[in-house]
Amino acid sequence: MVFNSYSFALFFVLLLVLHNLPLPWKAKKINLLLASYLFYALWNPPFILLLWLSTVVDFYMARLIAREQRSAPRKLLLTVSLLLNLGMLSYFKYGGFLLENFTALLSAMGIAFQAAKPDIILPVGISFYTFVTLSYTLDVYRRKAEPEPSFLNFALFVTFFPHLVAGPIVRPEDLIPQFKEPHRATTQQMTWGLFLLSLGLFMKVVVADTLLADSADTVFGVPFPVQPLDAWMGVMAFSGQIFCDFAGYSTCAIGISLCLGFVLPDNFRYPYAAIGFSDFWRRWHITLSTWLRDYLYIPLGGNRKGAARTYINLMITMLLGGLWHGASWNFVIWGGLHGIFLCAERLIRDWSGKRQRSFAEQNRSDQVLSGTVAQASMVPISWNGRLGNFGLALLTLFLVDITWVFFRAPDFGSAMRILLSMFGVIPNGAALLTSLDILKVSSVTVILIACHWAMRNSSLVKLGARLPWWLLSLVWAVMLILLILTQKSSNSFIYFQF
Amino acid sequence: MTPLLKSSLLTLVLVLTFVVGWEWYWRSQNLGLSYNDDESLWAHTRKEIYRSSPSRPVIIGSSRVKFDLDLATWEATTGEKPIQLALVGTAPRPLLTDLAKDPNFKGTLIIGVTEGLFFAPDGSFPEREATKRVNFYPRWSLSQQISFHINRVLEPWLYFLDEERLALRPLLTNLPIPPRPGTWGGPKFPKEFSIIQFDRQDVMTDAMVADTAIQHQVQAVWLDIGAHSPKQTMPDAMVTGILDSVKKSVDQIRARGGQVVFVRMPSDGPFYEAEKMSHPREKYWDRLLAHTRTPGIYFADYPALSKYRCPEWSHLAPKDAVTFTQDFIPILKQKTGWPIPIRPTQKPALTASLPPHQ
Repeated sequence: MVFNSYSFALFFVLLLVLHNLPLPWKAKKINLLLASYLFYALWNPPFILLLWLSTVVDFYMARLIAREQRSAPRKLLLTVSLLLNLGMLSYFKYGGFLLENFTALLSAMGIAFQAAKPDIILPVGISFYTFVTLSYTLDVYRRKAEPEPSFLNFALFVTFFPHLVAGPIVRPEDLIPQFKEPHRATTQQMTWGLFLLSLGLFMKVVVADTLLADSADTVFGVPFPVQPLDAWMGVMAFSGQIFCDFAGYSTCAIGISLCLGFVLPDNFRYPYAAIGFSDFWRRWHITLSTWLRDYLYIPLGGNRKGAARTYINLMITMLLGGLWHGASWNFVIWGGLHGIFLCAERLIRDWSGKRQRSFAEQNRSDQVLSGTVAQASMVPISWNGRLGNFGLALLTLFLVDITWVFFRAPDFGSAMRILLSMFGVIPNGAALLTSLDILKVSSVTVILIACHWAMRNSSLVKLGARLPWWLLSLVWAVMLILLILTQKSSNSFIYFQF
Repeated sequence: MTPLLKSSLLTLVLVLTFVVGWEWYWRSQNLGLSYNDDESLWAHTRKEIYRSSPSRPVIIGSSRVKFDLDLATWEATTGEKPIQLALVGTAPRPLLTDLAKDPNFKGTLIIGVTEGLFFAPDGSFPEREATKRVNFYPRWSLSQQISFHINRVLEPWLYFLDEERLALRPLLTNLPIPPRPGTWGGPKFPKEFSIIQFDRQDVMTDAMVADTAIQHQVQAVWLDIGAHSPKQTMPDAMVTGILDSVKKSVDQIRARGGQVVFVRMPSDGPFYEAEKMSHPREKYWDRLLAHTRTPGIYFADYPALSKYRCPEWSHLAPKDAVTFTQDFIPILKQKTGWPIPIRPTQKPALTASLPPHQ
């Protein structure tokens, strides 16, 4: 069930009524759990078995791990949990990819091998709920958290429908404590939740699906070169589309949870105003980047084992982060590019830090004599000013957009063709996008960048409190009216495929 | 009352006011109520194919069979309503392949042939669009089915729930923005052209039938499409490849006891002339029948079917569709020998085929 569907609207209204009836808290939690299973089963009922398997195994494995004091059996139990979770993920998500590459490798070695193409359907949300259950088991193993005694609380933590299929990737401490006490939304939470739901749907249905998706699909869908303007517009369209699609989903999820009285963590913080790639990853898919940081980068050694290992750890984390998105070399390249940019940024920061320190020392000793010379040799543009920062944010977005080419293109050849078209390397490309397409993409891009920049150091909650109530209402009404004008759109969210 | 609550109440008032005003505006435009001919409506109709029979055939093809075969008239004549699966502007071959591969389909199939679309190469837009529908059907989730049934309750009451004509996307597309040289945004049909009924029947609106200016607009759209269509002749090997794949599918259906007929619906004026030039009958239609060894009905061969004029050169007006269908059924029965029960001619069923609120 997708949030942008009539079936969800009906489901949500019925659930809200049920959740606000004077029932015992346990009964309400059972309602939420059953509703979450229904929410999931309405896609493809058999896949609910995988969800159950993952839930049951991790619940009992975590208890056994917590009870066991000896190191070897604890490791063995953890391995069983990891094998099951990652095994399922690998089979469903990477089975075909591994087989394809294995066949290609044998072929390169001159061995003729033709495997039957596996007909594997990817269960919706498997990448997300696998990471949710893994974080629980790993936290218990690392004695960071106690195992949850209530199966109901644990099952609801894994299955709670707002985050189940596309995040935010919740941690045990985010949600389980909230299930221990009765929760019902206050009027304030309910209204703000509905506002967030409207905003999320507006971003998804109006902006991503109606204003941007067609242009991105057109440019990335043709097998021939296009004009530089078309290539750039296609990439910017996808850049806006993926943000509005995914952040729209997260906003809906947070809003829906709030209507039920639960708080989910933020997943996006105006990423297209990021200054640099480390800032970008503090703002884009925050729950995934913190997951990778805590369960992969830091266990690999993080930045504690010297400069070289830090760069290696960064690259491993980003390459695997790329692969998490899908079984394709293009995702690996996307992750690799982000890794390279992160490493480059770290290198520049270290180098400029050293330079500043040595300059400061030198300046102190020659302060009187060469003050004028030092001032004259400084760069005329201050990168610390607001304009300089804006320039750096645009540079970051430019590089992020380059990486999106690999993320969106169906294969490496197409990605290279788009890139070469963007920079005018391939002459005589086709003109594809109409005046209206160009108008839509450029307007949305400018508005998106302006909004992100204006909101860079703020939040929606702060903005909502600052705006006059009638102005907030006007904005809300315009979003809903455009949503109604756009009409039913039951397109899946892009991140469902991951 | 908190400011947030005040905001939400004002929002509700503004949105309700807009919805009422918007609905009133579109009702006052006399465009007629039209259903969304989307994937779900197609999938809902596709579910019916297992109950097909000579009097209740499955129809695939492009827009002409959707306009010209009046389903209500068919029902009034034979006692049963056909299952309309044709898709506007698409090649029916992916649908034919799909039906041929479905082991449970053993019914009767009418295939509408508009040569330019029927012979559209694999990978072309008309072929891809039809393939999308075919691929959607097995993935039609329970959730989408529930949404479809809720939409089905709302659609007859709300004119503005018309994705094809009144949603944000078509409204933006129709903005008078100067075109970018070298690009084409696709055909822009006037809103008054046609409406779609729940049984997937396409019907020209009263305004379209009455107003020659609107008819000229649609004619201009056909010319526009023609100007943007590939000009090169199809290689013979490609035609043969298509014929082979069609024959394979037809044979598969026949092997299970099913029956197939090809039909060529009327076209008119410069459109028909252009079609005769681009797709000569002997090279396409005659070869299709011979290659697949399947009966076919070409409108021009029958005075009863060729007496009609198409207001915009390509489709029949609703009144003509009624008599055309009445004339077509006996010809079909005679040509195929299918046991189609034909009731004595009744009053034209045009009123039955008009949508509610008209």
